[in-house]
Order: sequence, then structure tokens, then C-alpha cells
Amino acid sequence: MSTSRRTFLKVSAAAGGAVGLAALPQFGFANEALGNESRAVERARAPLNILILGGTGFTGPEQVEYATERGHKVTLINRNKTRPDFFKGRVEQLVGDLNADMSALKGRKFDVVIDNPTTHPGWVRNVAQYMKGNVGHYIFISTISVYSDNSKAWLDETDKLSTMPEGIDPFTVPIADARKYYGAMKTVSEGEVAKNYPDIHTIIRPGLIVGKFDVTDRFTYWPYRIDEGGEVLAPGTGNDIVQFIDSRDLAEWTIRVAENKTFGVYNATGPEKPLTMAETLYGIKAVTTAGAQFTWVPAEFLTEQKITGWRHMTVWVAPRPNNVGFSQRSIARALAKGLTFRTLAVTAKDTLDWNKTRPPEDLKKLAEGAVGGISLQREAEVLAAWKAKQASAKSS
Amino acid sequence: MKRLSKSLNILILGGTGFTGPEQVEYAIGRGHQVTLLNRNRRRPDFFKGRVEQLIGDLNGDVSALKGKTFDVVIDNPTTAPAWVKNAAQYLKGNTKHYIFISTVSVYENDKTANADERAATTPMPSEVTDPYTVLPKDFGKYYGALKSASEREVEKHYPGINTVIRPGLIVGPLDTSDRFTYWPYRIDKGGEVLAPGTGNDPVQIIDARDLAEWTIRVAENKTLGTYNATGPLTPLTMAQMLSGIKAITTSGAQFTWVPESFLKEQKVEAWTNMPVWTPDSTGDVGSSRRSIAKAVAAGLTFRTLAVTAKDTLEYNKTRSAAELQSQAEGKRFGLSAQREAEVLAAWKVKQASTK
Repeated sequence: MSTSRRTFLKVSAAAGGAVGLAALPQFGFANEALGNESRAVERARAPLNILILGGTGFTGPEQVEYATERGHKVTLINRNKTRPDFFKGRVEQLVGDLNADMSALKGRKFDVVIDNPTTHPGWVRNVAQYMKGNVGHYIFISTISVYSDNSKAWLDETDKLSTMPEGIDPFTVPIADARKYYGAMKTVSEGEVAKNYPDIHTIIRPGLIVGKFDVTDRFTYWPYRIDEGGEVLAPGTGNDIVQFIDSRDLAEWTIRVAENKTFGVYNATGPEKPLTMAETLYGIKAVTTAGAQFTWVPAEFLTEQKITGWRHMTVWVAPRPNNVGFSQRSIARALAKGLTFRTLAVTAKDTLDWNKTRPPEDLKKLAEGAVGGISLQREAEVLAAWKAKQASAKSS
Repeated sequence: MKRLSKSLNILILGGTGFTGPEQVEYAIGRGHQVTLLNRNRRRPDFFKGRVEQLIGDLNGDVSALKGKTFDVVIDNPTTAPAWVKNAAQYLKGNTKHYIFISTVSVYENDKTANADERAATTPMPSEVTDPYTVLPKDFGKYYGALKSASEREVEKHYPGINTVIRPGLIVGPLDTSDRFTYWPYRIDKGGEVLAPGTGNDPVQIIDARDLAEWTIRVAENKTLGTYNATGPLTPLTMAQMLSGIKAITTSGAQFTWVPESFLKEQKVEAWTNMPVWTPDSTGDVGSSRRSIAKAVAAGLTFRTLAVTAKDTLEYNKTRSAAELQSQAEGKRFGLSAQREAEVLAAWKVKQASTK
């Protein structure tokens, strides 16, 4: 995957420089220059012994790539099911199930644990049986969904958190129901981390994570759709603020958090400065040659058509008084601790390139809008309805 | 890059400016044999050892062409019919194809949207009694008329074997005009950026490399006729262009879109101070809406805006200190940071007072 591609690009770039005798300054000269970058990754000063819970999903693989490139020793523990033997020979692979037997951790010690998959506080407790007292730093990947109230913009990490409904013990919630109480279960999990690893933990609360390996289509829909060209249904006025973070930016910062022993609680989303929905879609258009044309349709009309923000018009949420904070979370703390960002063009280009490599069943779901986004057919219907409405408003 | 089985013997007039070097690189990459004719002044020996270099001045002696024959001539620098005539002394009958790089400025007016190559070109003003003796100092004044006359001169000497390419705003690395470069430069600096109009005005630009590479393919395919050459393929708005440029930076520029009427009050001019932008209010609705259907059908293709913007930004960082200073001062195109701040401040005062 990325390693061989990176190597290839490095070699071809060097070859180009050697044989070109070019009188012209050599810049990009190819679309590849924008994405799949062959950045030199610096090695860390002190190699760490890192345990990653999960590690084969979406952000996890990026943590593994970056950590190994920086010279750290990586151990994974997972069911070895999502992508069996994905990093074979490059990491130590332990097999365990957070929902059941984690005894493979028995007697082990690590400098850092990165907990990616936990959605249930029982999982933290399960791991803590073996890890409490045996780890120097516990990093828990939480979520901005822990916040109970999104009615104010640009609030920081001290904002109020979700609580479990009265009378429900989070530790006895069946895993099948954990989704139902997602924010609250993540909040309780954060508390469980603090309890088991006092003063040596970091809580990272990412916003919408995007990029390659994302199977939710929550961002991918837009690069995919815009690259198809034609008239694109776009939500709202274009001026609504959106936030998201490239999984690589999140993963790489997480590893640097480990290296720097950065403790505390951090929102982690992007970009650094406000980005509107129009800027996002136009930025994605800029990495294509499809020449998509956008038709911005008001939120009220989308609601009439049962087109909802986030699910159908991904990344975006219809602006309402109770959700202005949803895509306007302060990230000042994470920025102060070294969170950095790729350009939108790189994220969009790499997501688009990756999307083209997905299996046919995933691409079919994407085309049908089965997970995130809408189908071309549904989009055409909504656009037609919108034009009919505009025409009737003019004639009446 | 694909090398062709049939190598052409190409003469490029000029070739060391902005689009020319891209033609040379691409042509060599495709296996063609390239000869340059220029004064060897602008970038002396730029392609030394890779091309045959002839010395000549289109405004003077081009006898270095005597006795030479070529498959194709690409005429980049000509701004006056006398230059075509001068080169034709030697090249008429000695080339199979003559490609003239003209301009969309040949059109008499821009009053019609989506007009194609059949639109009327600019006649020579009556005060010009002899178009062949216009002095170089007056070339700017009669630019459209002289380029139109040059096109006719090409047709006269090379009937049935010529191509006339009329590019719109050419952008990208090596451009010293700042006519596009201002935006990547400015947006990469971040902060509040003065942006013109509503954001919905269409713009047309073409990356010098897309133009150059297509020109070489026009030579390879012996594509004859007259072609507008700008981009992109489908309409692009000012907001889409600036947002696309923002997408290749991490500076997080914030745009403040200021109405045209207020910009006028502030003497902030479209095109010069707010580069690329040509608002419709002037009636010149065709200036950013030239039909390129004919060129697209003949194989004109485009890089992405992101690639153009990124490469332009990187090129800009390599420019000389003098050029960068001139850019920062908004000397030719664009605005200085100070002037931009003044206009933004004035706009806020105006908005506050209307509230």
C-alpha cells in the first residue's frame, strides 16, 4: 500500500531530477504532487514501546505507519478480523477481544497505550485489569459527541458532557445498545480512563474524521460526487461553517502526543481557521477536472424533501439554534500542543484516489447513497423539484 | 511522457518567455527536434545543448533562417504583422505548418457571452495609415488590431497550412505579470482577504502548460484553423477559484466579498487590482465566457486548478527579490497589504454606518 507507492514516487522524483537536465524549475507537473506525498518523516528522539488497541480500522493504520516510520515499536491487540495480518512482520500482533478475553496482555508493559475502539466503559475496565500500573501513558480516542449541548459556538474542552439516562448502568448496557447512548457511553469511558490512569492519560475528542479507509462515506461522498461532474446538489447557502480532520493528521498528532507525553483533554478537528461548506466543495472541485456545477438549495427545502444534513448532505448540518456548536468547536488547546493539518486539496485528492480502489460492493453502496450521501437519481429528483418550485414562485 | 513515432522538426520563435519554455520541454519530451530563434537575451542559453539555437530579431535581422526548412513553425512573440512578414521572407514555402499564438484580445468587443471564433476581430484604426510601420512603443495601444492584422498576415503567407490559437489569460509558473499569481500569493499569506463582487462572476484562465502541450499536439496532428484557448472546460466562478486556491494552502485565509460598487468608489479596479476578475456590469459579458468548444473538440485538456495554484505558489517563492517586492507593493497587478487593509476597513465602516 502506501509504503511502496511512497518509495516509487521518491525514486521517480529523483530520476526525473537526474535525467531531466531541466532548464525549467520542477514543480508538481502531475496531479500526484498534490497527494500521496512522499514526505520525509523524522525519527523520534526516543523510541517508544506503543500498544495500539484496534489499529486496523480507519485511523489506526495511519498511527501504525507513522509510529513505525518514527522508529517506535508497535504492538497491536485486536481480534485480527477487520484486516487480518494487515501489518504482518512490521508489528507485534496480539489477539484479544475488548468485549471478552484480553489476557494476551497479561504480564506486558508499555510506554504508551492508544485506545482507539472503546465505545463501552466496560472495555476500559477490561484492559485495565492488565494495563493499570503497567503503562506510562494512556491515550483514549474519544469523540466530540461527548458534549451534551451544541447551542453555543467555539466552546472548549470544559463544556458540559453527556450523562447516562437515569437508572441505566453503563457497565451493564449490552454492547449492541452502546450506540444508542454513544455520547454518554464515551463520556463514562473517559471517566473510567481517568480513574484507572490518573495523571498519566490524554483524552482526544476528534470531530468528523475523513480520508482513506473511511467506510462511512461521510466525507468521501463529496470528492466522489464532485468528480462525477454535472449539476451537484449542495446544501444551504454555502456559508455554513464545517469542521473535519484528515485521519492522518489526527493519527500523526496522536503519536506526537505520545512522544511529548502531552496529558489532558483535547478537541481535535480542523481546519485551523473557519472553513465554509462552499469553500469545502469548491476546494474539492479544484482537485478534479470534472467541472462540477453547484446548485445551492436552502435548508428548509431540503427538509421538505427529506434530505437531511450529515446523513444525505454529508459534513454539513442544517443550521439550527441547538447545533451551531456542532461544527464550531474550539481547537485552540490542540493547536497549542502541535496539531497540524494537511491541505484540503491533499485530503480531497487522496480520498478520491483511495475511493477508486474500494471493492465493488462499497462503491455500489456509495452510488446508492446507502451509507452517506444520496444517489444520483435522488439528487436529480430533488434538483428538479427545486427548479419546479423556483419556477412556480416566479410565475405566481 | 509518450514519445511519438514520428519526430517533427519544429522551429519556435521566441521560446524562452512564459509559454515557450513549456512548449520546448514538452516537445523534447515527445521526441521532437526543436530549433529556437530569438535574441538570446531574455534567458540566454536557457536550453543549451537541448535545442538548436538561432539568433535573430523579429524586429530586425532574421536571416539566420535562410535556407532552413521545418515541419512546423510556432510563432509566440509576434505582436505586429511586420514580424510575420519578416519571418515569411525565409519561411514561406519552407514550412508545412505555421502555428500563430494570437490572443482573445483580437475580438472587437466582449459584449456577447459564449461567442466562438467567428466573432468579429478588431479592424485597424483609421489613424494607422500603415500597419507594417507601427512603432513597438505603440504596440500596446493597438494590441488587438495588430494581433488581428498579424493573423491575416499569417493567412496571407501560409494559406491552408496555418493554425491560429487565441489564448485567454495564461497563468502558472514563469508568469511575471502577477495577473493570476497575486491570488495564490495573497491567499497563502492568510488573514482577511479582500475578494471582489459576489463570488458568482465567471472567470476563465489557462495554465501555460496546458496551452503549450496542446500547441505541440496541434502540431503533431496538423490541426488547422482558428481556436480560442482558455479554460476550464465548464464554468468556474470567482469564489470557486479563490476557494480552490485556499484548498492548496494551510493558511486558512478568510474572504470578505465586497460589492463592485464599493470597490469602484475605492478605485480598486477589476482585472488590475482584483486580478482575473471581469464583472458583467461593464457589459463585457464575453470576456470570461469565450466558447472553447472547438479547441476542446481538437484535444485541449486541462490540469486541475489545485495543480495550477500549487505550482504557481511554489514558483512564486523562487522569484527574484525585486519581483517579490513589486508584487508585495501591488505595482503591476493586485494590491498591497496596506491598501487592502484600508479598503477592508472602509468597507466595515460603511457597513456599520448603514446598520
